[in-house]
This record gives sequence, C-alpha cells and structure tokens, in this order.
Amino acid sequence: MPAKPKIAFFDFSSCEGCQLTVIDALQTHLGLLDQVEIVQFREAMTEKQDTYQIAFVEGSCTREADEDRLRAIRKQAAVVVALGACAHLGGVNSMKNRWAIGNVQTYVYGEKNKETYPSYPARPISAVINVDAAIPGCPIDRFEFLHIVQMMLQGRVPKLPDYPLCVECKLSENACLNTLGKPCLGPITRAGCNAICTTYGDGCEGCRGFAPEPNFEYMREILRGHGLSETEIDARFTMFNHYQLQQMGEDAPLSPEGLQSLNGELPTSTFAAPKEAEGHG
Amino acid sequence: MTLYILPKEQLPVFVDKLKADFRVVGPVKTETGFAFDDIKQAEQLKLDYPTTILPPKKYFLPQREVLFNYHTSINEKGARQIDTEPVFQDVQPTIIFGVHTCDMTGISLYDKVFLEGFKDEHYLARREQILIIGIECLKPCDDASFCKDMGTLTAPPVYDLHMTEVESRYLIDTGSEKGEELLQKYGEVKLATTDDIRDLSRTLSAKWPRFRHRLKMSRDQLPSLLTINYGAITWDHLGERCLACGSCTNVCPTCFCFDVQDELDINMQDGQRTRLWDSCQLHEFALVAGGHNFRESKASRIRHRFMRKGKYIHQVHDILGCTGCGRCERACLVNITIPGTLNALHDEMQLDANPAAG
Repeated sequence: MPAKPKIAFFDFSSCEGCQLTVIDALQTHLGLLDQVEIVQFREAMTEKQDTYQIAFVEGSCTREADEDRLRAIRKQAAVVVALGACAHLGGVNSMKNRWAIGNVQTYVYGEKNKETYPSYPARPISAVINVDAAIPGCPIDRFEFLHIVQMMLQGRVPKLPDYPLCVECKLSENACLNTLGKPCLGPITRAGCNAICTTYGDGCEGCRGFAPEPNFEYMREILRGHGLSETEIDARFTMFNHYQLQQMGEDAPLSPEGLQSLNGELPTSTFAAPKEAEGHG
Repeated sequence: MTLYILPKEQLPVFVDKLKADFRVVGPVKTETGFAFDDIKQAEQLKLDYPTTILPPKKYFLPQREVLFNYHTSINEKGARQIDTEPVFQDVQPTIIFGVHTCDMTGISLYDKVFLEGFKDEHYLARREQILIIGIECLKPCDDASFCKDMGTLTAPPVYDLHMTEVESRYLIDTGSEKGEELLQKYGEVKLATTDDIRDLSRTLSAKWPRFRHRLKMSRDQLPSLLTINYGAITWDHLGERCLACGSCTNVCPTCFCFDVQDELDINMQDGQRTRLWDSCQLHEFALVAGGHNFRESKASRIRHRFMRKGKYIHQVHDILGCTGCGRCERACLVNITIPGTLNALHDEMQLDANPAAG
C-alpha cells in the first residue's frame, strides 16, 4: 500500500471556523485518518512537519507578509486547496476594501495604534498563488470537505455544484423566502451547502460565491421588491463577494454609488466609529 | 366502477384503520402552506388544501434514491473487483391520500415513462406498493391554476379510490380491485343511492364555472404552436429574465429527469450509486465531454422545457407534459408562466402572419 498522502492546514486572515469544521468532520468521519496523514494543523495539534502534499489554506491575504508564506506553501504542496469563503473569495474581510486602508486601520486599532498592524485590501489566496481547488462556504460544509478530499485521493479534479442554491431549497421543499418577504441571494449563489441557512429560515447571504450564470439584474429587481434601497442591495452583494465585484470593474452589478465605493474610495466608515479602547494595554 | 358513500365524520376512523397496515401520506399544514407528508394523526390530513410546493411525485421518484451498494476490492489475481448489491428504497405499502386530479395526470405520465417498454425496476417496486386515493377538485387552487385548459379537471384512470366531497359525505368511486378491497376492509361505507348520485352529479356540474381558461388556444394546438414558434423572439425575452434556478422543473409533477452519481464511503472502497433529480434548466444538464453544451443559453433551455411539455412528451407518450397545476408559476421569482409564454407565442405568431396588424 502506498504511503498515505500528507496534508497540512494553514490559516491567514480568518476566524478559523472552517478548520473547526474539519475537526468536527473528523469526529464523525474518523476513517479519513486511514486515508491521509495530517502533519500540520495548528488548531488541532502541536506536532509539525514541513513536508506535505496537500495544503488546505483558510483565510484571505490581507498583508504583504502573507504573500511569502503563501508562496512557500505553494512551493511545498503538490495541491493547494482554498478552505472556506475567506481563502476562496476574500470573504467578509474584503468588505474593508470599500475604504482607504488608513481609515480602516484607524477604525479598527484607534488613532494611537493605527500603524501597528500594516495591511492592504483583502484578496482570495488565488490572487497570489495558483489554487487547485476551493471548498466554499462560511463556514465550509463538512460533507463537501470530505467529498472533495475523496475526489483528490482518487486523482480526480474536485468539482463544485454549478447551479444556484434554489435547487437544494426546492428539493427540501422549503417555502421560498423571497416569496415570504425575506431577502435571499439563493438565486445567484452557488449550491452545495444543502440550503442550510434557508432551511432554517435565514435568507442566503452568498457565502459560497456567485453561481456560474448569476442573473444580477433580476436579483436586484427581486430585492427591490422587498423594499431594499440600492445601497442595501449593494451591501448584500458585496458582503462576501466584494473582491469578485472589484474584479468585474465597471461591469459590477452595483448602483453608481456602489461602483464608486468598490476600490477603497469611501472616505470614512458608514458605521459608527467604536470608542477608543479604554484600558487596553 | 362502484360508488360508495362515507360520512365525513367517518374519515378519521378510515384513516386510522389504514394506518395500522399502511404508511399513509397526504396533504398536511406546514408553517407556510401545505405539503405531502406522513399522516401521524388522522386530523392532520387536510383534504381541502389548495396546493403543495412539491407534487406527490416524490413518493414515486425520491429526490435522492440509492440504486445499489457497491464494494471494490483487489481479488487474488490482483485485478480490481466490484461487487454490487441492489437496493430498493422506500418500498412499503403506502397510501397517498388526497391527490388532486392534475397530480394524478402527472402520475399517469410517470407510469408511462417508467413502466412502458423498459421497466424501471426501482420505480416498479415502489409503484406496486402504492395506492392512490384521489380527491375531486371543486375549486381552483389559486390564480396560477390552469387545469381547465389542460383538461385535468377530471380524474384519469390511475386512482384506486377517488373521493368527491358532497355536503356531509364523500362519494367514493373505486378505480381498482385493490381500492375496492381497501374500502371493504377498512371503511364504514354504504353503496351510493340514486339520490347520492344525483347530488354528486349536481356538485360536479356546479364546479366547472369556478375554473377559468387562461390559454388563448386549445391544448390540441400546443404541438403545432411550439413547432411553428421554435425560432420565436419570445424565447430570447424569457432567457433574459430566467434565473436558471431549476425551480420550475423541480416542482413540476411531470418532470422526471435524473442524474446518476456514485457516492463513496470514507473507507474509499464501499459506496452507493444514487439517482438524483436533475433539471434541464441547469447549465450542466446538456454539457458533454469535451466541453460542448447543446443548450448553452438560458433561452434555449427554456424553449426546450416548453417543447418537452407541449410537444416532445406528447409525441412519445401521447399525453401532454403539462397538467396545468401552476406550481412552476408559483415557484418562479421572475414571473415566467406557462400560460403567459404560450399566449405570447400565440400573439407573436398572429403578428408574423399579419405584419400590418403590428
């Protein structure tokens, strides 16, 4: 029997919730450890080897220092997989791309410490290195993770569903949230999560990225029907997918104001500034 | 075949008796509407329901169905060996209660598709255990219904029992020997009298004016209407609106297309071959090896769906592929409707025939 492939997990700007889902998956599918050897997984174990074939990377690239680390992983691994929305799309981190980076740092760290952690606009890891596969979602779906690992172990190219979430919602016989007055991005979002949020009554926020043929124009029309303003619709579109829309440039399906805010041109946050942290340090 | 009467108050008793020997499913109230589901208590059964998101086709062709289990190994000669073990999923004596006449029409098409010519053994195993108790529709479900246009306001001969609510009682027609046995064994019924039959006749006559026509043409014209309008501009207009979400086909009582996939267990040796609902509205449906897609545009996929409903299925099975149930219209967020589309084709054709009128 050939040696088991060695796999490693890495994290960048993220909440590490996708890695938690992997740990969760191992609890219900321990047999995975008969197929692979985990050699690096900071969230789950202390031991560490630097030789591995498959690298799972969680988190987006938001600092210059991230780039060298990503390139080193790419150099070592035969296969690099983006794990979850941040690595796959840029995710919620990319919301910050709407404002000038200096303002973002002041907003987060305060006037006094704004230079402490230099950063730049958030990007998916595919903006820096070649990525062989992505496991979408915020967080990832454990069954999809297992499925994609299995496909790679078989030497197959992992494949994601190429249709909108509505398919899975209908198969579960859920009443359509958009017809019940709850905004839902299901019609333009890639399926694969088994419609978990919508099944529990929450409208889809698009964490798995856009489906391959998104009908943005009519999605906006549906959301207008809920009484959402153009700005609110922009906010929903950009929540997880800001970077994808940035890449579309002038063709991005946003309002004129939304288009202006795509590339860090908003002067200050539209949210109330947090109080300067008192008693911190 | 034979008409019986069942007093309304006897219905729960009938259902409870059936439950002892059958899985009984029927329309029940959900948070937002109605759905076919297992009847746990007889009172749950709501025979006056308007419609459901999914038709009862899910009991004939489950959304996900295991066809067989497999085990792969390396035999003593060093060759890869695959052993399979067939699975027949959800095969149990089942009664589907309260099926509308449109949905019974869908079931009769399913029977033709899966049992005529090549018999689908998985479908057959389930089908042989299913009994259908229909309910006569006395008013339309809602504005999306166009059953009258599609000729599905009367029950096709697919039911075992068919009930019509007439004042304080149900008139029950037996459609099969199994249905007859069911009534004799589990129902407190009496033979209908001449008076009962006169009341039934009055009820049935009174229902027709409550249903409206929505099509500008008769259903007999659909195959030719679609043939002539293959190149219509209407398809392009619909293609711009379509979300390609597949909801229209998933909720359709006559759509039967499926995909077959292998699902591997975590040990990488055992697995299941499954059959899953598929949709011609999805991009991947007509994608073939090498990357060519026979229906790349959404417009061509919508046209294909209408061609299936109004022409192709009719050519093969001698029955139209649309029952007028209105589910696709209720499910469509961009208001693509069957009557609206067929009427648009009709209008476009009139315009083409007489350009001066335009």
